[in-house]
Amino acid sequence: MSKVKEWRALDHCDDKRNKSQAIEEQDANQTNITKQQSEEWIVIKDSEYVHVETTDTQAAASLQIGIEAALAIVLRIAIADDGRVEDILQDFNQITKTRQSNRQKTIVEKSKDVNITTIDTDIAINLQLLIQLLLAVIVSLDIL
Amino acid sequence: MSDSKQQPLNNKVVEVMVKTILRKNGVQPDEVKNNIPEEQKQMIKEMVEDLKKQVEDFQQNQAKDKSE
Repeated sequence: MSKVKEWRALDHCDDKRNKSQAIEEQDANQTNITKQQSEEWIVIKDSEYVHVETTDTQAAASLQIGIEAALAIVLRIAIADDGRVEDILQDFNQITKTRQSNRQKTIVEKSKDVNITTIDTDIAINLQLLIQLLLAVIVSLDIL
Repeated sequence: MSDSKQQPLNNKVVEVMVKTILRKNGVQPDEVKNNIPEEQKQMIKEMVEDLKKQVEDFQQNQAKDKSE
């Protein structure tokens, strides 16, 4: 049985940009692997015109650090005893550190004109939980 | 997008958890309230509002990406 030749983007590369160096550029981009903190993998292989949109984990991570810092500041202002503040923060950590790891793998192979949009729901949920926690602390301590 | 607006935990649940943790560690909200000067209360309020807004913006951007 004769094997049907697979379609490969690099075999016939239609260059929509009207530039002559298309083949070299494609070679360089052949395997473009993006790994983020949340272990998200996007592998694009032997493809052209792939548009990727993914969660901005950097922005989320710095926002998360900001909220955690705010939580610590509020508790330190409210409670003079540093040892007790540490204990409380540890207890809070037990609530917020139950985060599941996000392992998404997206593989695009031998394709063209593809749009990919991925969302890291875990990071979004974690942020939401942290801000809820901060608000609850403020309400409980009657600061607002 | 409705699912990104969804709270991961019910507000009441978080409130109860926070109150339990504070009580467990011997914090009396009434005492604490008087410990904080008005000026610092205002500062905390602004800080929290700002962070809340940043989280909302982030969620909104995600929802926008999803619907595109």
